Amino acid sequence: MHFDTLHNQFQSGKLGMWLFLGQEVLFFAALFTAYSVYRGNHTDMFHYGQYFLDWRMGGANTIVLLFSSMTAAWSVRCAQLEQRKGLLITIAITWACAATFMIIKYFEYSHKIHIGAIWGEHFHIHSFDELPLPLQEKLSHIPVPEGKTQIEAVNDYLGKGGLGLGTFFAVYFCMTGLHGIHVLVGMGLYIWLFVRAWRGRYNRKYYSSVDNIALYWHIVDLIWIFLFPLLYLIG
Amino acid sequence: MAGGVVEKPAGYGAPGAVPNYLNHVAGIKSWLITLDHKRIGIMYLAAVTFALLLGGFFVLLLRTELLQSGGVLFKNNEYYNKFFTLHGAVMVFMFIIPGIPASLGNFILPMQLGAKDLALPRLNLMSLYLYWIGAVMFVLVLVFGGLDTGWTLYPPYSLDRDTSIPLLLALSAVFILGFSSILTGLNFIVTMHRLRPVGMTMYDMPLFLWALYATALIQVLATPVIGLTLGLSAVEHIGHIGIFLPQYGGDPVLYQHFFWFYSHPAVYIMILPAMGVQSELIATFSRKHVFGYKAIAWSSIAIAAIGFVVWGHHMFVAGQSPTAGIIFSFITFFVAIPSAIKVFNWVATLYKGSIELKTPMLYGLAFMYLFGVGGLTGLFLAAIGNNVHLHDTYFVIAHFHMVMVGSTLNAFFGGVHYWWPKITGRMYNEKLAVIACILVFIGFNLAFMPQFVAGTRGMPRRYANYVDEFTIFHQLSTIGAYILGAGVLLQVVYFIASLKNGKKAPKNPWGAATLEWQADSPPDFHNFTKPPIVMAAYDFENWEYDPNTGGYELRKEVVEAGHSLATVHN
Amino acid sequence: MSDATAHDSHDHGHGGALPGTIGHVTSVGTLVKVFLTLVCLTLATIAVARMDFGRLNVVGALVIASIKGSIVALWFMHLRYDKRFNFFILFGSIIFLVWMVSYILFDTKMYQHDMETYRHGKTIDGKPKPE
Repeated sequence: MHFDTLHNQFQSGKLGMWLFLGQEVLFFAALFTAYSVYRGNHTDMFHYGQYFLDWRMGGANTIVLLFSSMTAAWSVRCAQLEQRKGLLITIAITWACAATFMIIKYFEYSHKIHIGAIWGEHFHIHSFDELPLPLQEKLSHIPVPEGKTQIEAVNDYLGKGGLGLGTFFAVYFCMTGLHGIHVLVGMGLYIWLFVRAWRGRYNRKYYSSVDNIALYWHIVDLIWIFLFPLLYLIG
Repeated sequence: MAGGVVEKPAGYGAPGAVPNYLNHVAGIKSWLITLDHKRIGIMYLAAVTFALLLGGFFVLLLRTELLQSGGVLFKNNEYYNKFFTLHGAVMVFMFIIPGIPASLGNFILPMQLGAKDLALPRLNLMSLYLYWIGAVMFVLVLVFGGLDTGWTLYPPYSLDRDTSIPLLLALSAVFILGFSSILTGLNFIVTMHRLRPVGMTMYDMPLFLWALYATALIQVLATPVIGLTLGLSAVEHIGHIGIFLPQYGGDPVLYQHFFWFYSHPAVYIMILPAMGVQSELIATFSRKHVFGYKAIAWSSIAIAAIGFVVWGHHMFVAGQSPTAGIIFSFITFFVAIPSAIKVFNWVATLYKGSIELKTPMLYGLAFMYLFGVGGLTGLFLAAIGNNVHLHDTYFVIAHFHMVMVGSTLNAFFGGVHYWWPKITGRMYNEKLAVIACILVFIGFNLAFMPQFVAGTRGMPRRYANYVDEFTIFHQLSTIGAYILGAGVLLQVVYFIASLKNGKKAPKNPWGAATLEWQADSPPDFHNFTKPPIVMAAYDFENWEYDPNTGGYELRKEVVEAGHSLATVHN
Repeated sequence: MSDATAHDSHDHGHGGALPGTIGHVTSVGTLVKVFLTLVCLTLATIAVARMDFGRLNVVGALVIASIKGSIVALWFMHLRYDKRFNFFILFGSIIFLVWMVSYILFDTKMYQHDMETYRHGKTIDGKPKPE
């Protein structure tokens, strides 16, 4: 222990955490740039890509994350007030919300992989009927060259050499995937925190981990606040 | 920050020896799990020295190959490509980026603050382990057949290939080394904010710390970008996702933007700590308060800030738009201003100082000349029209080696000589050190001056072969490289010898005024056996020469008063 | 630069803090209110996006997201009550992010035309692409 006061130790940990969060912002910066570059130069790619994303799923996930952010902030309050039971409950709820987020994410991913709406050269829609309904309507009129099936024509139109939706899905999967990894890390941290809280390790003068992990969790939420409209809403 | 004297554990150290951080516990395990910034700093020092020797060995192979057009060493030009890639990657990611901050910075930073340790010691150890993991992975790249992409790993060439293992190893290694660097920087900033002793403001800190602060800002803000870029590259290579590779719809220029958004600021990660060391050397061996303290301090921050807005000058011929190129060219010139501010202030510090030409000072003087040449040739390259002509020639190679090696490596050597007595408690052989310094200086100039000429005449970089008219330049350059190598080896020899036979070092052999010199040599486990007397960094008048110890001691008046006698502060 | 060591005053907590608590304690009421505001803004951004304002849709979405982000940072992350330097770290990193995004976007937009020309078999000066 080389700090003169607990307060100084607390503030040091917190400053370190904030620097780490600043680092996180720039960690995502390259992906936000990739998004802007492809969206800025290929508006159509994003316009069509949007049809594959369900804003209801994304919206539900947004609410889930916001709620977990509230409980995370609440857990800090509980630690400060030495409410052990409240601390355990808020941590558990935060964890459960994170798990719910990942489950919803799982359904979204598996659906896209199932219909073939995935990244780069692997983008290949298997069947016309599996496309989202509004997109079926929109694509029903594209001309089918002789000797090709309708789905082949659709893939030519959307995929490589056409709109290049493969890149859209690369951006989508990379951004949400990296965010998802952060959610998983957060879940791990909250399990660790739960165990420590269970053992009664925290009190009003010593709760740095609760505070810092909550900060981390908020930045995960904050990044999703931007990902949601950028990917799901604006076409 | 009071620290009591540690009880010496029974059975350790020579009988009667003063306990210090080296002998208070022994055994490999005590080193592997230590949280002591001094031991971690030493392990870093050993590791980066190893990286330096490894990278140096590679380049000696390359220079030998270039003795004659047609080559003298490798059967196949592929080996040449692999060795210049590894030379660049090892030197950049394993030596020069962590070099000064992680080794000397780790050891000296808390001591210059009068603190017991860095603010987050566990994080410090973790950063060391990340460095080791990254380093081992780099060595594995060599084992698995090497890589021939150049250290910049540009797609499509780097990512569109059949052999994955060396590429993925290199990508992950740099990713991990990057996080090691981020954690070090983060730790430094927290320490400088939270562990300054009462009575020491930011403006009382030694300039080395200001330089490390600016470096740390870049480490924290720029390094994550390369991490993600290399992550995306790995995903691109495995999954063909179409972000960087054009055949899948990606944009390779985007990679270069990302890469240089980190790697240009990284250039300042390499040079800023060197400038910090330089400020210490010049002030101490001129025995004079550094001239223009605030100007030097803030120019470090200015260099860090400008460093973030000039990355496009690496891409003038890469497909970047001419408009962006012109803007980047214009902004690049601004880097010269804070750099020149530093050099002028160092020169002004020398003016009327009582200069003592000890080995560290020799490196300091060499630094000014080499940095001058490196910096001024940088201006040639910043001008976009000139750059298109000189791009990817030996002129560029010579320019950045003048800055990276000429300046940073010189300052690293200077810093190691300067702090060696503090770190090990032993003096090195001064005569041999002067000889080594002269060898390094001559070798270095001989290696790179001809390259400027060859470059302006059109010798392109990264080529295993050349036309006959370039022979003389390559041969001079190779001889220079050998001399430089000899100088470095000589250093290794007398440093190791000093551990055994070196004279015992006094507390403060140079008369420097920063706080670390108030500790014993080598320091106690807690750094200071009694709290240091806090004073501004360059109050040399507080110290006087003591012929009994061969070093300097605090004046009696200072010890009695408990504070600095200086009336003029920074 | 923030002030050093232990000189900074202890934050004054309210919401029934115990004596000697480190840091600011946020009341339950505030937490719930902030959460509800964020939900309302989420619904608002969905509603706005479903109308067609052309290019303004992007601006609208980003403005609402920034408001939401600021609310999270100021209340949930305690930045309102925290040391100012922590705020600067977040703010500074966002400035660098914006600079990176906008400059690279600007450059790619500038060279897009050259790329398209090349893709269609011509060099920038209109000559046929070399094989």
